[in-house]
Amino acid sequence: MQDRKTQKKEQIIKASLELFAKKGFYTTTIPDIAKSIQMSVGNMYNYFKSKDILAKEVIKYISSFLGSELQKINEKDITSEEKIKEIVSVYFKTAVEKPEMIDYFLRVFLSNRETFKNGCEGMVCVNEFVTEIMIFFEEGVKKGELKDQDFFSAFGLFMGYLGGMVFLNGENILPTKLDDYIDDISTNIYNALKVE
Amino acid sequence: MKLLWLSALSCNGNVHSFFNYEKIDSFLKSFTFIYHPAIESDYTLQDIVKKDIPCDILLLEGTLQEGLQKAGVDIEDLIFRYGNKVKKIITVGTCASFGGIFLDSEEKYGLHYRKKEPHDKFISLKEKTINIPGCPIHPQTLASILYSIKKEFEIPLDPYQRPKEFFAFTTHNGCLRNEYFEYKVDNHQFGNIEGCMFYEHGCQGPFTNSSCNKILWNEVSSKTRSGHPCLGCTEPTFPKYNFFETKKHMGIPAHLPLGVPKRAYLSLAGVAKTFKIERFEKKLI
Amino acid sequence: MIRSELIEKIEGEATLDYHFKNKAIEHVDIKFLSSRHIENILKGKSPLDALVINPRVCGICGHAHLIATVEALEGCYENLEISQKAKKLRELTLNFELIQNHFKWFYLVLLPLFGQKQNIYKATHPSKLMGQAIATIAGQYPHNSYAIPGGITNEVLQQDIIKIEQYIDETIAFYQNHLVDADMENFIDCESVSKVLSKNGDLIDILKTIKQNKWTKLGRSYDRFIVFGQNSYFKAGRGVATRVNHNLNTKYITETNNTDSLAKNVKFKKYYYEVGPLARAMINKTALVKDSHRKYRDSIFSRILARTCEIPQLLIHSKKILNSIDIHEPSFIEPSVPISEISGKATSCVEAARGSLIHKIHIENNTIIEYNIITPTQWNLSNGTKKDSGVAQKAMVGLKDIEVAQKVFKSFDVCSVCTTH
Repeated sequence: MQDRKTQKKEQIIKASLELFAKKGFYTTTIPDIAKSIQMSVGNMYNYFKSKDILAKEVIKYISSFLGSELQKINEKDITSEEKIKEIVSVYFKTAVEKPEMIDYFLRVFLSNRETFKNGCEGMVCVNEFVTEIMIFFEEGVKKGELKDQDFFSAFGLFMGYLGGMVFLNGENILPTKLDDYIDDISTNIYNALKVE
Repeated sequence: MKLLWLSALSCNGNVHSFFNYEKIDSFLKSFTFIYHPAIESDYTLQDIVKKDIPCDILLLEGTLQEGLQKAGVDIEDLIFRYGNKVKKIITVGTCASFGGIFLDSEEKYGLHYRKKEPHDKFISLKEKTINIPGCPIHPQTLASILYSIKKEFEIPLDPYQRPKEFFAFTTHNGCLRNEYFEYKVDNHQFGNIEGCMFYEHGCQGPFTNSSCNKILWNEVSSKTRSGHPCLGCTEPTFPKYNFFETKKHMGIPAHLPLGVPKRAYLSLAGVAKTFKIERFEKKLI
Repeated sequence: MIRSELIEKIEGEATLDYHFKNKAIEHVDIKFLSSRHIENILKGKSPLDALVINPRVCGICGHAHLIATVEALEGCYENLEISQKAKKLRELTLNFELIQNHFKWFYLVLLPLFGQKQNIYKATHPSKLMGQAIATIAGQYPHNSYAIPGGITNEVLQQDIIKIEQYIDETIAFYQNHLVDADMENFIDCESVSKVLSKNGDLIDILKTIKQNKWTKLGRSYDRFIVFGQNSYFKAGRGVATRVNHNLNTKYITETNNTDSLAKNVKFKKYYYEVGPLARAMINKTALVKDSHRKYRDSIFSRILARTCEIPQLLIHSKKILNSIDIHEPSFIEPSVPISEISGKATSCVEAARGSLIHKIHIENNTIIEYNIITPTQWNLSNGTKKDSGVAQKAMVGLKDIEVAQKVFKSFDVCSVCTTH
């Protein structure tokens, strides 16, 4: 059971995500967020001392959320091919049901290095998510299902592809809904990563 | 106390390693060999195999093989004959403990183990056996255990019957390159005092049970201190081969430090690798 | 009449079948009965793994196997560069192994042959010092693999050089205190056996015993010597008595199987040759050994003298090498092509404690296709026929007493584990 402070933090984070998605990251202020959950600004600052700190906590929250979804998939006794499909499904499902999350990752985190450069260097704040991807790759290679290659080549392929599709979806460029792409995308990824 | 040192298929590395024991002269005042591959005793090998000479501890060195004989007598018979009478049996070195480097066929084995798999050939002797692996053994380990037996100390053993006082540690404990490991600095080049060999050059230190960097070799150094990866020679799986390279699955080391869960290791590694610590990127001297 | 004797404490065992005729030894069959088949273990492994497997051929001369292995691997390259620093440190660690071997042989093997008790302290104390000197460079002794294609793994700092010099000095002092009580710089240049016999020491006692018992003709063989491992001290060459020829090609070495022994015989151009310290001294034309040879040919007297006085020669020469090392040179120069991408065949020769050690390797596609090892004891103890005896066999022909024959046999410093590897 999460304690009260953690629950409150989570509430703030969720509210922030919604406002960032609706109004934009730079235009949203701490008072805006406080107002949306009926909290005093002074109290907000008890939980997050600045917007920058909040921004970093948000990305960690997203990473933790996605990380725990991926952990569930990793722990299943299924093939790498099946895991790829489940990972793609979870990612796309999150993009559809909680668009503010993936949005934040693509449009705020990746694009605003200034905000994140101190305290979120490199992959520090997306650690939990990246760890699960590492585990997925490592076990796939160990089982002889995936090709042994440079980690970043594989990572870039997988994540870049998914991010790209979500971006296109967000811009309403895709002719059908995102879910319809799950099979093809999964097959393409698997074909690229599998042992020849 | 009377000791019998019996060699099977061996290189005699353990004999010569033991000669480096710091206090060998006083050791030989407390212990007598009824037979030893290099030290003279009252008995020849023929005496040992043909008669039953009183003996307290049997030291077995070398890989065993079906049908192997010593002076015309099957070594298995000798092991039972003396093994049944002695207080303790010590397998000296990885070959006698687990089969070691000469285990290349079905008919070869260690005293109670073939690599990791236990076998029953000498099951009646298993309880009184202490395994001291190492390729070769560390002289201090053997001497300490012999003194412990003489003094009737209790000797706690790990699941592979190795004395915990020496094998609860890893080669990693006391390695001078620890800082490079801690911060995941993985650009080790041979010939340098800097750098950790776990990432590229096959060092098995973090998951090998030994006291190599705690006691040191020849009282002065160790493999890893001299830029050489740990070969995991105290483990039942020795030799794993492809020694000088780290097996990786998509960049991630296939063997992680002893007892450390994958998720924990990777999370720490991910964070550590983000930062470049200047002192670890430069030559120390 | 045939008498079979088990010879022990020769880094393993061997069986000698003495064929007596008219109460004298007419022929001796030398049999080695166990092997670990290391040449088979090597097949199919990756090239660098040989650096770990080969030292385990032997616990007392494994380091020579390491150096021979790394030189064979480097020989597969067209032109691999290693620094002078790495080259010199490798020569030093090899010298230290020879030295510890000779001390052990003298005090553990030789003394009992002359009715004396072994002296464990005198055998192990200087050996420990040499082990420490090796470990300072190579991490541990026995069994290290610090020499790799391109150089050595250890950086080696100034403080290491200082410590090594101290170990050498202590060992020199030990030799002087126990084996030959003379100034060592003078001793290594000494040209007269009589002068040496006028000194005191454990070596002198043995040499005098040989003379007193009139054993100075004992152990003579073909008077034929061969040395393959050229380095900064030893010269390669072959000779009969004092006639030396420095032209040697390993392609003329032939190995043949034995029916009753797991050891193989080895010849150079159809002849059996002696290897080891006596051979090295004869090819190097070491003054003191030449003098001994003048009087006593290739008897046990010369053999024992040559082995024992190799110790101070190597110690003093090692000091010179040590002081010539430029510590600022790199210890390791990464080969531009990794060994996994090299295919080729190469032969390497080094001088191990007991004589020339030869390794032949064939690698392709990161795999050892074939590996052949010829050890010094194979040379000395080749099990030839009555008509064409091996070196040690010939040395025992004509003797009437098995105990005396054992003195001759063990004067060759036998290593059973190496012989069958």
